[in-house]
Amino acid sequence: MSTSTPAMAATSAPDLPPSRPSASNRRDRRARDRRRFATRSLLNLFLLVGAFTMIVPFLWMIFTSLKSPAELALFPPTFWPQEWRWENYPEALAAAPFHIYFRNSFIIAFSHTAITLVFASMAGYALARIPFRGREWIFMGIVAMLMIPTYSKIVPQFLIVRFMPLFGGNDILGQGGTGWLNSWWALIIPGGLSASAIFLFRQFYLSLPKELEEAARLDGLGEYRIFAQIYTPLVKPALATVGLLTFQDSWNNFLWPLLVTTSDNLRVIQVGLAVFQQLEGTAWGYLMAGTTLATVPMVLLFLFCQKYFVQGFANAGIK
Amino acid sequence: MVLAAADGTGTALTAEATPAATGPMAALTGRLRGSRRRPPRVTPSRSGRKTRRAGWLMVAPTIAHIGLWTLIPVIATFALSLTDYSVFDAPAWIGLDNYIEIINDPAFRKATWNTIVYTFWTVPVSMAIAVVIAVMLNQKLRLQNWYRAAFFLPQVTATVAIAMVWLWMFNPQTGLVNGILAVVGIPGQAWLVDPEWALWAVILVGVWQGIGMKMLIYIAALQNIDENLYEAASLDGASAVRKFFAITLPMLKPATFFVFVISIIGAFQVFDQVYVLTDGGPANATTMMTYEVYRAAFQDFRMGLACAQSVLLFAFLLVMTLISRRATRGDEE
Repeated sequence: MSTSTPAMAATSAPDLPPSRPSASNRRDRRARDRRRFATRSLLNLFLLVGAFTMIVPFLWMIFTSLKSPAELALFPPTFWPQEWRWENYPEALAAAPFHIYFRNSFIIAFSHTAITLVFASMAGYALARIPFRGREWIFMGIVAMLMIPTYSKIVPQFLIVRFMPLFGGNDILGQGGTGWLNSWWALIIPGGLSASAIFLFRQFYLSLPKELEEAARLDGLGEYRIFAQIYTPLVKPALATVGLLTFQDSWNNFLWPLLVTTSDNLRVIQVGLAVFQQLEGTAWGYLMAGTTLATVPMVLLFLFCQKYFVQGFANAGIK
Repeated sequence: MVLAAADGTGTALTAEATPAATGPMAALTGRLRGSRRRPPRVTPSRSGRKTRRAGWLMVAPTIAHIGLWTLIPVIATFALSLTDYSVFDAPAWIGLDNYIEIINDPAFRKATWNTIVYTFWTVPVSMAIAVVIAVMLNQKLRLQNWYRAAFFLPQVTATVAIAMVWLWMFNPQTGLVNGILAVVGIPGQAWLVDPEWALWAVILVGVWQGIGMKMLIYIAALQNIDENLYEAASLDGASAVRKFFAITLPMLKPATFFVFVISIIGAFQVFDQVYVLTDGGPANATTMMTYEVYRAAFQDFRMGLACAQSVLLFAFLLVMTLISRRATRGDEE
């Protein structure tokens, strides 16, 4: 697909501006309409093929999750299942506690979203609208933190979790136990806030007019109430965007939960899948059933809230 | 970038259009002028001190969190990279020994090379596809939301989950990829087991997954191009191809730099799909810098060595970002 795309776009792309009716001749216009129709059909055909190529893996995942082991052993493989074997799902759940993984992922993603919405919006608001000394420095610091790659902090993060004082049998110096390893703390706290969420919120609050706060101050409202009752209701779309991106990021996270948990009860769905694959590498029907369970929530969330995702990614862009 | 405008819900959000120079894009390209704008000054009266205190209290939890989980770890990474540390014993200062070991380590060299090859292929290829799709989707087709969703879907779903599907599709005996090739009459490959092909398989997955986000950023940027430019070009009789290269691509330059930088940052940190697809093998054919960090730290418990590796990774990214940033700046003046 990559080979044929560029030529195609080049011919059709700059059709962008609606053609001017300045061409007075009607025959001329009809010819152009016909050409436009041809271009559009070609475009549609092309995008249809491209879009289908993109979702083939998803279809393949769902169809595989409904095939019998015998059918999965066929070569060349069948695309459409010969018989729809729904039992794969309950059997997969019996083979590995995917429902527990699912629940854990949900709890963590939900907590991260809640923490982010409360604290990141507060910080973003203060950085945008409250003048206090050192604010510029804090903001520049947050921008700098935005650029730190995950791998430049993951080892010490793990060590902080491991040596967290007074948790998991650790003494006050963090020795003797396992700290936050294998606990909800490790799964929820470190990933709870991100610099990018604060950055996004700041930009949103910055775009609001200042007359509102002046009026509110005259009415005698305190800073917290101005934040909570005046400005935050105005950035509901921002709350939705940041909330969805946080939820998605958290749901899809793999490395961190892999590092800090070993027990089955705390395993998240992405890690659960990887472990299941390592243990039962050939049970593809079950594995794809589990994978479907891991992807479907995000797909649905995306399809229903496409607008917010699109806004968020077009702006944040940083994953 | 399009935040204020795209919102369009008629709220106060649109009251003051956020200029293009305040997004993370600006942060990356070093154009934060707009964001340094001072907030409305409160009349320095009775409320002054209270206000300041409120401001501090509101950022305090965030500062504490970022300080503990980002700032301290980054500093610690640099410090630990100069030590020999196994978690079980106290860290021992060894100077630059870790760096010397890494530079002489064939596995890490291979990993660096693989990371560069992976980045070199996934970033430009998916960017080229993304810009073309974005231009096509900008034609206001009836189904455009569905097309956009389809191209974006791989970005929303977990890399681990989706890599699992590719693992199954690359299966040499019964996989879809070999199945399709068999229909066309091309002999299949043992994609992920063959050192010749494994990296290409990982790259293919990277390209496939990377298109969506780049496409979205391009779509947003395309909407900011002045249509008059195209009309003027049409009046001058410019062909469609000519307009694409003379107007669209140059106007997309800032977006392209932005996409380029974040894509490189993303590509250099590829991990999940390698973990699932190949586990770095066969024979280190697909190991990446991040994968070596993971191995050193969490399989061999050589924390100091892992930190040194991640410092190198960081240095690579910093250099790349600075180069792109300089390029954008030069462009502006």
